Amino acid sequence: MLSQNWPAVQRLTGKVTHAASTNTRRAYRNKQLVLRSGLLRGWAPLAVLFVSLAIAPAALAQNVKNPGTLVHAADDEPTTLDPAQVESGEGGETVILQVYERLLEFSSNGPDLIPGLATKVPSVSNGLISADGMTYTFPIREGVTFHDGSPLTADDVKFSWDRVMTMSLPESAADTLNDIVESTKVKDPFTFEVTLQEPSASFLNGTVVAMVSSIVSQEAVGANGGVTAGEPNTFMATNMAGTGPYKFNTWNRNENLTLDINENYWGENAKLNVRIEIGAEPDVRVLGLRAGDFDTIETDPSFIADLKGAEGVNIHTGGLLLEPIHIGFNLNIPDGTLPSEDTIPADFFHDPRIRQAFNHAFDYNAFLNGPLAGFGDFNTHYIPRGIFGHDSSAPSYTKQDKAKAEALFREAGYWDKGFSVSVITEESNLFADAALVMKDSLERLNPKFRINVLAVAEAVFDDAHAQNPVEFAMWVKNADPFADPHPYMHSYQHPDGEWGEVHGFSKGYKDPERVAKLIDDASVELDPAKRAALYAELQRVLYEDPMWLIAAQEGVAMAYRGWVKGFAMQPLWPRPSVKFALFDK
Amino acid sequence: MVDSPNTDQIYLQTRDSAWRVRAQRGWELTRTMLANPTTVIGLTIVVLLILMALSAPWITEPNTPDAYQMPRDWSAVRVPPGSPGHILGTTNRGGDVLYGVIWGARTSLKLSLMVVSLTVVIGVVIGSVAGFTGGRVDEVLMRIVDVFLSIPELIFALAIAAVLGPSFTNIILALVVVFWVKYARIMRSQIIRIKQSEYIDAARVIGDSKLRIYLRDILPNSFTPVMVQATLDMGNIVLVGATLSFIGLSEAGIAEWGVLVSEGQAGISAGRWWAPTFPGLMVFLWALAFNLVGDGLRDVFDPRTESAR
Amino acid sequence: MQIRDYILRRLMVLPILIIGTSIIVFALTRIGGSPVGIYLSHEMTPAQVAEIEARFHLDEPVPVQYFYWISGVVRGDLGWSGVAAAPVAEVFPNKLAATMELAIASGLVAVALGIALGTIAGARRNRLPDHIIRIVAVSGASMPMFWFAILLLIVFWVNLGWFPLGRSDPNIFASIAHPTGLYTIDAILAGSFKAFVDAIWHLVLPAVALGYGATAIIARMMRSSLVEELQEDYVDAARAKGLPERLVLRRHARRNALIPTVTVIGLTFGFLLQGTVVAEIVFRWPGIGRWMAAAVLRGDQATIMIYVMFTSILFLVVNLVVDVVYAYLDRRVVLGE
Repeated sequence: MLSQNWPAVQRLTGKVTHAASTNTRRAYRNKQLVLRSGLLRGWAPLAVLFVSLAIAPAALAQNVKNPGTLVHAADDEPTTLDPAQVESGEGGETVILQVYERLLEFSSNGPDLIPGLATKVPSVSNGLISADGMTYTFPIREGVTFHDGSPLTADDVKFSWDRVMTMSLPESAADTLNDIVESTKVKDPFTFEVTLQEPSASFLNGTVVAMVSSIVSQEAVGANGGVTAGEPNTFMATNMAGTGPYKFNTWNRNENLTLDINENYWGENAKLNVRIEIGAEPDVRVLGLRAGDFDTIETDPSFIADLKGAEGVNIHTGGLLLEPIHIGFNLNIPDGTLPSEDTIPADFFHDPRIRQAFNHAFDYNAFLNGPLAGFGDFNTHYIPRGIFGHDSSAPSYTKQDKAKAEALFREAGYWDKGFSVSVITEESNLFADAALVMKDSLERLNPKFRINVLAVAEAVFDDAHAQNPVEFAMWVKNADPFADPHPYMHSYQHPDGEWGEVHGFSKGYKDPERVAKLIDDASVELDPAKRAALYAELQRVLYEDPMWLIAAQEGVAMAYRGWVKGFAMQPLWPRPSVKFALFDK
Repeated sequence: MVDSPNTDQIYLQTRDSAWRVRAQRGWELTRTMLANPTTVIGLTIVVLLILMALSAPWITEPNTPDAYQMPRDWSAVRVPPGSPGHILGTTNRGGDVLYGVIWGARTSLKLSLMVVSLTVVIGVVIGSVAGFTGGRVDEVLMRIVDVFLSIPELIFALAIAAVLGPSFTNIILALVVVFWVKYARIMRSQIIRIKQSEYIDAARVIGDSKLRIYLRDILPNSFTPVMVQATLDMGNIVLVGATLSFIGLSEAGIAEWGVLVSEGQAGISAGRWWAPTFPGLMVFLWALAFNLVGDGLRDVFDPRTESAR
Repeated sequence: MQIRDYILRRLMVLPILIIGTSIIVFALTRIGGSPVGIYLSHEMTPAQVAEIEARFHLDEPVPVQYFYWISGVVRGDLGWSGVAAAPVAEVFPNKLAATMELAIASGLVAVALGIALGTIAGARRNRLPDHIIRIVAVSGASMPMFWFAILLLIVFWVNLGWFPLGRSDPNIFASIAHPTGLYTIDAILAGSFKAFVDAIWHLVLPAVALGYGATAIIARMMRSSLVEELQEDYVDAARAKGLPERLVLRRHARRNALIPTVTVIGLTFGFLLQGTVVAEIVFRWPGIGRWMAAAVLRGDQATIMIYVMFTSILFLVVNLVVDVVYAYLDRRVVLGE
């Protein structure tokens, strides 16, 4: 029985070296010995059990596994299932997308909005957006029932939005609503009206479709803890009461989460129940997909590359994730907090030449073709490709240019004296890879440059990154995904924005007022052409004055079993950017 | 003990002959040990591994600026063994597996030597203080030792390394915290045993200082069990250290076997067996070799405790 | 009498050891700084962090936090696990059952094989089987389990498809009740043959991977104590009586050689317990070991503390039981002679 394994290993690995073969043979010999002595010493029943168990499953045929259920191997475990608590880009959004619905949704192809629980997409021309751009009216779909049996009305919509804004949990994306919405109103049982604080070009694309704006059953929340400001609702964190094509079934922590078909769905019913497998290592997900235990998997691009040509496995590529992988420069380094190896002064990154030099020195090709295995694209700017306002004709950092980097470091006075700087990152993921590529790029450019990569646990990183000011000079992570350029620009580039303030951007921009004004103007500009022009100008300004080193924009790539029908991805949906209700097998 | 004029002489004789006997016995034991084929196999592998570790800079060109970092060739990621310039292939980050195997030996040698020497010193000092002083001090120290021993060692090391954060230095620290207790125990029991022997009484009678008795009589006599344990630990420490690295507590991109298996594990599903196989094999060989030698030592020095653990 | 004194003394020391462990564990986890990170997300601002710190009393001094923690533990509030996104106490029992099932299964494999191999080796001392088994035993103790487990996985799961991954087929698992949490036992109680086969089938690979090292430990102990027993006078006496060698071995020597082996089985339990961390990672076994590994990587201190505390207490209790059993067996042997 065991000797059969040997050719199997060869099949799997293709080539086998001498060292590997002796080792496996030794293991084989040991096993034989174990078995034989077991039989000799009267342990026969044990051995028979092993043998019979080994043979039984081999007889199982390799046809469609788990019929009727879509098994998805996920990257992250949700921390909460409550739209009012979930963080943008976090595992819970995957589930919320399937079980809850929003007033509007992104269509499954392209950036168009389609009606969700609202029956029309508001526009100035259909009269649902007021002429001043301040009031939006949503006609609510009739005849929709929540999974708990209560009917959907405009009251539920108002309740859902108000609830998020009342709870206003620090971990949540509540600001998406808080920063824009002035008031909400139920005009009649099936008409919902929102008044904004100021005109917003990103309200429909950025706010209404966000997971935080999902519609929950007022009755379910009322019966289970209600709404308390600043307090998470433990019922809603672990249960769901939505209107979507899937009903929440069970959540076995660290194991799996199951969703059942909602037979009373107002639209087209889902065809498969769903089981989301949680916590498998990336390679285990790949193995599981090969074995047919998993139907769809989330995994890093390099693993997707490995699956090319695998039997019964399809690979979907196309489009880019909206989470640029960035390396940050700290312009706000507090005195004496840097790791002891660091030799840079606190104002190191105030000099735009140094920020430019880093951008020129980075080996973009190495990162794209190594860790990303070619799945992705260079990202020129903090408005990702695929988002309105991205101008691909703007100048960009997409190629390593050692000569320019050297010239800039010389000008800034660091070429001859060198420097040492630490970069903090999460261990063993793409961020750590990006940090290592930067280390190699800089250290090979000039041996006097030293980059110390501090790869720490996720929680440690989160803690360090949440400090104000941050106590490290550089860090690697990615952006939260948005569907509109404004949140990117405001959070990551505005001198008074969320991160601009923490990282001290105003100390580094050549003209901080100009950057601020461009971002502010673009956010209230309702004419798309004029708005695009403002973003195009911003891109040119920020090329000369970069505040980030953007390593790449990761490609959308997903592997799934060939037996899964109707596969579609939409990068504007939260990761893994699929709606299970569209699939069959 | 009777205070006779001869005591001094008896003591010196005893001690002299003790040294002579010890040397002679050492020679005999070495011969017995070398008569055991498994010990010889182990010893041979140990010597080869240590030679490999020591000559690493001459076998492969050290990576600059840090030779303990894997040399990453980002343009040749995931190439199979036999490729030009990468005899054993490369990792997901373009690291040369052969480099990792060779410099991993150096990393392992560094790790095991540092941890063993630190733990031996700490353990011997604490065990000696406890055994020599006795009484309350002994009681308190041994309760502390008991508490340390009551936490399974891998789990303890895991928790410490987790708290300190992933880095190679922290793995060393974690292992030191976990591994010193055994030496303290061994040392204490040896001292209590030797303290009761006659020649120590003799030394005390002729008025040798406590320190002198300790350094000249007790320490050398308790040497063998400590050495046996240290040899076994040379292997175990690399095994536990690699396990910690495998779980993800080491530094990114260093040439360490556990890190390489952990990084390479991911590629197995794609048929990239080489990245985890060779480094894993090295961990196995390293631990096996030191265990064989340690067992051989224990067999000859103290046959009755053979295979206690 | 003596044994009772001995047990009493050990029992009295036990609480001291447990309290000592709790202090060490708590002090250790706080060396690494505040555990707040696990409750944070990437994009939180400092004001939001302060809010969360206050929610979990993390703004108090460390000794105060210890009393918060330890009094919580005594009341059954084990803290909030960031990894499991749930209270530790809520998640713990099920995961513990999964781990115990794995540890016990590997333990059974190891005891059976270890004793068998040790007996063969000891009975044929210094002959070929002995040398081979010694090498097997030593290699078992030197085998990096993370590596061995990966090899098993590739061959038997990916390639041959003989054994599955994880602990159960979720559909079969959901089809029966789980009063004990041990899947095999629950399957028997439910009278479901299908579930029982499913349970065993999932257990095989991790139990083998985990049991290998333990087999080695037990085999070595069994061998050496058997070698010792075979040199005792009573064995010669039995031989002199004309008893066949097989019966000498089975009736006399092996029975006595098992006694010291019992001690080592206790040690093996510690080995298995810590081995579950790696085995559960590789085989995706939903137990406390994999939970601990995730907690370690993500800085989930509440989980780490409870896990270390619990395994230590378990380890202490098992060792106590083993020592008592050994003392009891040993006395009987002395009396028997």
